[in-house]
Amino acid sequence: MPTLVRRVIPSPLSAVALGIAALIALPLLYVGHSALSVKTAVWERLWTTRIPELLFNTLSLAIGVGLFTFLLGVSIAWLVTRYQFWGCGFWKWAFILPLAIPSYVLAYVYTFLLDTGGPVEQVWQSMAGPDSRIFSPYSFSGALVVLTLNTFPFVYLLARAALQHLNVSFEEAARATGTSQWRIIFHVSLPLLRPALAAGLFLVILYVVSDFGAVSLLRFQTFTYAVYQQITGRFDYSAASALSLLLVVFALIFLIGERWFRRRSRFYQTTGRVRRSVPVPCRFAQTTAITLYFSLIFCGAFALPTFLLAHWTIAAWGNGQISAEFFEYAWNSILLSGSAATLALVIGTPLAYLAWRRPTMLNLFCIQGAYTGYVLPGPVAALALLIIFSQTIPFLYGTILVLIIAYLIHFLPAGLQPIESTFQQITPNFEEAAKSLGVSGLQSFWRITLPLVRGGFLVAWILMFIQSMKELPATLLLRPVGFDTLAVRIWLEASEELYQLAAPPALLIIIMTVPVVFLLSWKNWQVT
Amino acid sequence: MRLNRIVTPFSLKCFATGYYGFLCLIVAMCLMPPVAYATHSLVVYSGRAERLIKPVLDVFEHETGIAIRMLTSGSTELVNRLQAEGKRSPADVFITNDVGALERARELHLLRPLAMPEIERVIPPAFRAKDNSWIGLSGRIWVVVYNTHHVKPAEIGSLLDLANSYWKGKIAIPNAASEYLQAGVSVLRAARGDQVALAFLRGIKANAGNEVYGKNRQIVDAVAKGRVDLGIVNHYYIYRHLAKHPNDPIAPLLTDQGDQAMGVVMNAAGIGVMAHSTHLAEAKQLVKFLISKTGQKIFADLNKEYPLNPAVDIDPVLPPRKSFHVAKVPLARLAELREPTMKLIDKVGLR
Amino acid sequence: MPRVHRYRSLSNITLQPEIVSQGFHRQESMSGNTESSILELHQVSCGYSSYQPAICDISFSAQRGDILCLLGPSGCGKTTTLRAIAGFEKISDGEIYLNGKLVASPNRHIPAEERRVGMVFQEYALFPHLRVADNIAFGLQQWSKPARKNRTQTLLNLVGLTGLERRYPHELSGGQQQRVALARALAPQPVILLMDEPFSNLDPDMTVKMRSELCRLLRETHTTTILVTHDHDEAFAMANKVAVLHEGHLVQCDAPETLYHLPSCPFVAEFVGQADFIPGFVENGKISTEIGDFFNYHQYHGQPQVMVMIRPDDLQISQEGTGNGWIAHRQFRGSENLYTIRLPSGHHVHCVEASTHVYEVEKPVALRIIATHTVLFEQTDESDEQRRIIP
Repeated sequence: MPTLVRRVIPSPLSAVALGIAALIALPLLYVGHSALSVKTAVWERLWTTRIPELLFNTLSLAIGVGLFTFLLGVSIAWLVTRYQFWGCGFWKWAFILPLAIPSYVLAYVYTFLLDTGGPVEQVWQSMAGPDSRIFSPYSFSGALVVLTLNTFPFVYLLARAALQHLNVSFEEAARATGTSQWRIIFHVSLPLLRPALAAGLFLVILYVVSDFGAVSLLRFQTFTYAVYQQITGRFDYSAASALSLLLVVFALIFLIGERWFRRRSRFYQTTGRVRRSVPVPCRFAQTTAITLYFSLIFCGAFALPTFLLAHWTIAAWGNGQISAEFFEYAWNSILLSGSAATLALVIGTPLAYLAWRRPTMLNLFCIQGAYTGYVLPGPVAALALLIIFSQTIPFLYGTILVLIIAYLIHFLPAGLQPIESTFQQITPNFEEAAKSLGVSGLQSFWRITLPLVRGGFLVAWILMFIQSMKELPATLLLRPVGFDTLAVRIWLEASEELYQLAAPPALLIIIMTVPVVFLLSWKNWQVT
Repeated sequence: MRLNRIVTPFSLKCFATGYYGFLCLIVAMCLMPPVAYATHSLVVYSGRAERLIKPVLDVFEHETGIAIRMLTSGSTELVNRLQAEGKRSPADVFITNDVGALERARELHLLRPLAMPEIERVIPPAFRAKDNSWIGLSGRIWVVVYNTHHVKPAEIGSLLDLANSYWKGKIAIPNAASEYLQAGVSVLRAARGDQVALAFLRGIKANAGNEVYGKNRQIVDAVAKGRVDLGIVNHYYIYRHLAKHPNDPIAPLLTDQGDQAMGVVMNAAGIGVMAHSTHLAEAKQLVKFLISKTGQKIFADLNKEYPLNPAVDIDPVLPPRKSFHVAKVPLARLAELREPTMKLIDKVGLR
Repeated sequence: MPRVHRYRSLSNITLQPEIVSQGFHRQESMSGNTESSILELHQVSCGYSSYQPAICDISFSAQRGDILCLLGPSGCGKTTTLRAIAGFEKISDGEIYLNGKLVASPNRHIPAEERRVGMVFQEYALFPHLRVADNIAFGLQQWSKPARKNRTQTLLNLVGLTGLERRYPHELSGGQQQRVALARALAPQPVILLMDEPFSNLDPDMTVKMRSELCRLLRETHTTTILVTHDHDEAFAMANKVAVLHEGHLVQCDAPETLYHLPSCPFVAEFVGQADFIPGFVENGKISTEIGDFFNYHQYHGQPQVMVMIRPDDLQISQEGTGNGWIAHRQFRGSENLYTIRLPSGHHVHCVEASTHVYEVEKPVALRIIATHTVLFEQTDESDEQRRIIP
């Protein structure tokens, strides 16, 4: 039977994708609308009282963390790729580990360490005299230290990848003209790394701006913390909406910046063969110095916190403080995160598929809409959903569905990236080859496309699962009656300074996250 | 996707069915929580910390066999939640540490007036709503905690002294979300007027600097460690801290006790029954228990507070009821005073 | 062996003018005969937009067992033509017949999966998650299990990959991958085999070897094949019919020898080999040029000014030291030398001589014409529209 030529009509899949993208972009629109309908008087008041302080704090923290992560990340990446020393292979992988620790866990460990009368102060006082004080963790310095140690691996990974792919011919050409080593570093190597580093920095800043867990435990007033306080401390959401809007604008600026630099870094790749640089072997003195530096950073960022957590967990176990409730929280976490990840995968796949196979304006717009979740930090997404659900569909308020939707909005972008890149690796030739062999449509999808994208889907699912496990502010604000997750317990108990009680959930999360972090960085490593 | 070719081998159909079935299961599970619980159970929304309320409720559960499910959060947040949940709210009972929140709930018609003679007999009228939609259970006074090494009690006479620039960098205050701060400032406004309250707020904001805390316990800790010299807290935190660390150099200071003085600010923890509760009988049982002598004793003593049932003895470490006088602002007025107070606090820009 | 066979038949055609016209008649008659041809294209146009079609008005046909090569520079539309035949592109004009059945027209489009064409892609597109045996058996889902196994084994033997059934594509070399792709395309016994630049991904030494093997294989199995390439050596080596495309139009479709010796336009002449054009003047049964006189085989009577096409093998250096030619450059090619000779008028011609004797550069030489046929073109200013002057 002859088949008629298809007319161009939007397929049902496109309509579904449009619907999904609209739903995900809806909270952002609601926040915007809510903020803009706030009375001018409220805006004025906020501008004169809270906003300058919040702006100053957030910006200074972002810049400070950006600066220090840059220094740490680039120096470590440089030393690890350009030099050959004992333990080099270990350090290459060890510095990915700090990513496994959620920011609030690191913050709570540091409140213990740096508090008045804490161990660090005791050590310091034994050296510098009984009255000397170190800085309090509940300050700018505290937030700076915690967030730097938590996020420098982002810059480290990006710098390392860029350095690995840097064609040494550039540097050799510079050396042939007689330039000194330092000048080469500053005028050749770093500029070539610039886009990759810029992308990493913007990512870090985006992270700092949206972070809630660490700054709330350290009581450092940034936008996210202020929004949370407004939501929980006021009977109306006008001030919270206003602050949210500013936060979203911030996040948007940095997100766009990161994208832009990432795109540019692609053009900096060399054509033709890439010659890698040969690592320079180190003498004993240099090796000692490097090892000391690395050990210090690694201890502060991962080893010491994990050790303390293990220590407290064992103590808690000994005291019988790990009760059946702990497992209930763990189950809640797993259930919630699993559902959110699965739902996100189901929803994200049509979007990515359409953007790949039929990159029309509409489909690309849909998938960009799904990425709006990046600019909605936890408290803002929660606020948006609170407003939407209380005003439109109140009967769903307080159910787990609202929480899952919050996770979806916030984490779908993170999962979309592996899905998109997986689809892009499948050339259309596969489908055409299948067609020429008589296999098409759903059969082709089932036999060719699906097996090829399975790996990427798994990565996306795992990524979203882990992010959801660690999520804090939206869970705090939206969880149903009696439904606590591990993250919530950690935060609640850490705020009460019950270190021992908070340790088992924290340790569990870290144990679950470490393999995932390795999996992902390995994948990044493989992808040129 | 082709519209006019249906190539679906059996395996594909199985896959599709399984996939969508799983999806439906997930969605169904998500909608499940607000489902009726067992007949003999209660859902309690508590603005009071879990550790402080759970022991009382455990005793109640043990005595009556009624299971209790609890959601702990901030009182303000809970009121917002109750308002949004409306009729579908699973909450039966609302317990808070702050009468202002209860009053607000009452204004929003979320609470049910209770016609229980026991209440009339036991709790003085100043500590409950007019229609008994909410009842105070235990009283807490807002005192100054000072570090005995650094400060002499004579240096502070009134709460307003904390605004003095002498104390710059030496005090710790609760943040603007703190219901006690809001209640305290409300009382101050009612007793002394807006200008005084404004000056007070400005002063303590300048003096506290970064020492603004979300929890009273942290303020007491800070004073005990010597990080600051003074703090404003609810009284019982001091005694709780001293119970754990008897040798710490802290003590309470009851301000404004002179003849013409304002008196200490008093707030109360209270309970209200939700208007749409489906477990009314159980809820009333809980109320009865909490105002009974046993219930009051456990409830109050757990937190070293003042049981509002005058027949119940207070914890021996606390200052006796007669040894101080309280500001003469009725508790029921705290809610109506709240909005302008919030405006004032926002105007000053407290965190 | 096949090469000798073709030369024998060609020698009947080329040197005698009558047989040349016989060749053209053969080509013309082909397009009218729809019964025994496997593939027929009638005035096919196809493209991304109707204003700028990628291919325009293409007509050719292939008989059973033919190896037809679509030859042309990149962007000429040869891959589009191939994809239109395969069913991946819809045509906006014309008709395509496969095995006598209409498969494509502006109103009708039978999709690729129903056409039973085998296609080998440029990058092979082997399914990376399937083993070699599963790749080959991919199109055989309708067959019974034993039949499938049998067929897979047969094909593996045919392409010389016995023993590699359980390997994955990434474990194979380039040449082996190509053979698997070929086996996969041939497995479901397609009506026609389409190959898109089959040797572009291989090393040059590999290419030569694979070419002869592929040729042998296709002839043994009597597979009708359409090849796409931009390399004229490949086309000459493998195909028995070559269709040259230029900017979406079919300029000539002939046997390779005809294409080389009797190109229909200067573009074809230059594309398939070294060609020089010098002006000539028709008079007295001869065409006189500055090199010498060419015999007017076809008794051309018309415009006296013409362009004569000269291949390197049409000239010989008769004398060195004197003459009106000047050797500008010598290129050593192993068995021969290719000399670039500058004529007094400024035109350059090329001449091929055995490399045992070397004529020095920057020396005058005299040339002798040893061409057995003359190819003439109208002399116009736009060389694209120059058509060969045929009787």
